[in-house]
Amino acid sequence: MNKRYGMSIDIDKCTGCGACVLACAVENNVPPLPKANDRRGITWMRVYKIDNGEEYPERRSAFVPMLCQQCGVETPCAHVCPQQAVELDPATGIVGQMAERCLGCRYCMAACPYHARYFNWWDPSWPAGMEKTLNPDVAPRMRGVVEKCNFCHGRWHRAKERAAAAGQKDIRPEDYVPACVEACPTGAIRFGDLNDPSSEVAAARRDPASFRLLEKLGTDTKIYYHSKRDWVRQIANAPHPGGSPGGKENIRG
Amino acid sequence: MTTRRELFKFAGGSAMGLLLTPAPWRLITDTALWSENWPGIPRPAGGEIRTRFTHCALCPAGCAVRARCVGEQPVALAGVDGGLCPFGVAGHHLPYHPERLRQGDRQQAASALAAAIAASTPDRGVAVLDLQPGRTASWTYRRAVAAIKSGVYLAPEEPACAVNLAAARTVLSLGAPLLDGWGRPNLVFRARPDFRLIQAEAIESRTAALADEWLPVAPGSETALGRAVAGEIGAHEAAGITGLAEEQISQTARALRENGLALIVAPEMTSEVLRWNLALSGWGKTVVPRREAPVPKTWIKAAPVIPLAAMRDGSLGALVIDESVPGAHLPWAEIERKLAPGAVVVVFTWSRAGYARHATCALPTAVYPEAEGDLPQAIDAPEAGFRLTVPLIPPPPGMTDPAQFVGALAGLDIKDALRERAGAIHASGRGSLRTYADGKSQAVKDVKLDDFWKALNAGGAWTSGTEDSGKPPKPASITAPAINTDTLWPLRLAVDSPAAAVLVSPLMAKLSQESRLRLAPRTAALHPKAGFEDGARAMLETPYGGCAIEVAVDASVPPGMVLVADRPEIADLRGADGCARVVRI
Repeated sequence: MNKRYGMSIDIDKCTGCGACVLACAVENNVPPLPKANDRRGITWMRVYKIDNGEEYPERRSAFVPMLCQQCGVETPCAHVCPQQAVELDPATGIVGQMAERCLGCRYCMAACPYHARYFNWWDPSWPAGMEKTLNPDVAPRMRGVVEKCNFCHGRWHRAKERAAAAGQKDIRPEDYVPACVEACPTGAIRFGDLNDPSSEVAAARRDPASFRLLEKLGTDTKIYYHSKRDWVRQIANAPHPGGSPGGKENIRG
Repeated sequence: MTTRRELFKFAGGSAMGLLLTPAPWRLITDTALWSENWPGIPRPAGGEIRTRFTHCALCPAGCAVRARCVGEQPVALAGVDGGLCPFGVAGHHLPYHPERLRQGDRQQAASALAAAIAASTPDRGVAVLDLQPGRTASWTYRRAVAAIKSGVYLAPEEPACAVNLAAARTVLSLGAPLLDGWGRPNLVFRARPDFRLIQAEAIESRTAALADEWLPVAPGSETALGRAVAGEIGAHEAAGITGLAEEQISQTARALRENGLALIVAPEMTSEVLRWNLALSGWGKTVVPRREAPVPKTWIKAAPVIPLAAMRDGSLGALVIDESVPGAHLPWAEIERKLAPGAVVVVFTWSRAGYARHATCALPTAVYPEAEGDLPQAIDAPEAGFRLTVPLIPPPPGMTDPAQFVGALAGLDIKDALRERAGAIHASGRGSLRTYADGKSQAVKDVKLDDFWKALNAGGAWTSGTEDSGKPPKPASITAPAINTDTLWPLRLAVDSPAAAVLVSPLMAKLSQESRLRLAPRTAALHPKAGFEDGARAMLETPYGGCAIEVAVDASVPPGMVLVADRPEIADLRGADGCARVVRI
């Protein structure tokens, strides 16, 4: 049976520490970009601070980790790509981005309703010596292509290899966990197979306080957010978290 | 016969025709692709994948770390019992930081210090300032200065007690970043579902955002709430200071007294905070004595710990500062005041950004995860422990070991100090040893000394187990600092990311520069009504000095406060009362 990997993110547990952002960059060989700003940087995982729009001291904040929502139906980025550089893997449900096929037109960035795609404006480079710390399972992407979260596909391959070596047909759930999930100190991010009713994410999805971002688009995203706060749940229908009252416009590229 | 004219016409026509074919465009594409994939793009090194264990040395929490290594090189760090903080996740980048100090004249430093020691008098002493006391290296310094004429061991004030969060049912945090690096993240978040958290803080910090209740008190007035809750002042008086309603303060006091075991925490667990916890009957339950791992008996003849403030002004002829591990940062103005004219200042550091700016001589040291050492007790560790920072990679040549250097000045051989201490712990026969590779714990008395040492060097940890807390101490009475009402300094200075080390991975720019999750260095956040526009250039000034900043307007920062990222130049400006002002350039 095909998998349908997904995530549940408990906003009420997220402290906005940023460990997931760093773990993602370390795992996927995303370079530090000295010339980048919040529009031109590459952060496959980005945490937005949102608020209820009230004045101090009634103001309340929450942190929303934002990554590729892994749209399962009518995947907007895959639809517009002229190079077939974006593919939805039917075996895992993961939307993959092939840097080798990408010509850098950035149609996918314009099409993505979640602004979760990033363009490489510069050659990837690291401070002298730091290239020794690169993850051998992931190739750095070249200048001029788009990249995004792929649920740490390198880890999925590694888990598959391990399972094959152990003579198992399938990978065990604990063998494949994306870097952000592993790094989260509060356990706010959970990962698993949405098709497996016993998985944590499948259970979280059934929680009445769960929601998906821009559900009205009908793209069947696989990231389920959770919050018991009404004003936080309202962001589900905002254009993007930065567009909430008091937030800043933040469209990259 | 073909004429020359026809030849030219053919060549020109061919060239024109070529433009109408895909060939030139293909050439442009291929050139672009080649330039994208030029050989300068780093390729990750391959090799055998290994897992090694160590403890993070970036703060006293000392989280257990599982390192994924390619050969000997760590390529990813993860927590053993839970996630690491962002600083720890990218800690393996520190050895390659562009701002790392790589050279220093060891000979010059040794000669200058030897001369200062020879010329030392009680009025012109020689001191070691240890910014992270409680380590084996700290004992070495204390032993060394005891052997040096007019030697003094200086250290920031250590917490008056440790806390046991797992026992607490209600926690009142007076501005402590409880959920943002104050204690050991895995233990704090494991205990979190079992206690109600009330955060009293002027700003809605990360901890305040996730607290069960946030009390937005007036900047700098957290202490008044603590005193009111402990019954030292009335709710009416506290309400006047904190800006909270009298009923709200009474309710908080009631919640602490009636909902089971209560705990009050503050950024620094001073004697005053201990006194409030004693008033709540927390001794032996939520607050316990700070316990230290046993040390060899021969070490006991060590110099006492003296706070910097206790030194007479102008009484130090030489000062050695150990900044090799991140610890407390005392404003330079307070240190400078204690120096005699022409005093020698030697700093052991891995960065040019800290006290190296003021030093006569700065000597480079190994950095996590190159450095070997042990860790002081975490603030939320109710039992004694001993954990080593096991080096994952060797340090580059030319690095100085601060403890060995200071030990050599006093003629001490301290090469095996860590092993000696492990021997003393083993000889005590107390506690248990936990090894991370197999996740097992076993009693120390069942382990041979060599195996104990080997396990510690493979990333194991010793803990003493539960001990009787004894009688509560008599905490010294401290006068609370007066709240700043000076119109010259109308703002209260607060820091974002208090756990920030002197140097952090270059990838931290993802949080501050490539997104706006944390404040960027040299940026100050102010309330929209402070009169500054976003991106304005300004000077942040305090009684200790000033530095240029860029203003970030943030409605979550209350009026009367300025929030800045913690950097050494900012730490140099912070006084006890935290008063400041921002002046437009």
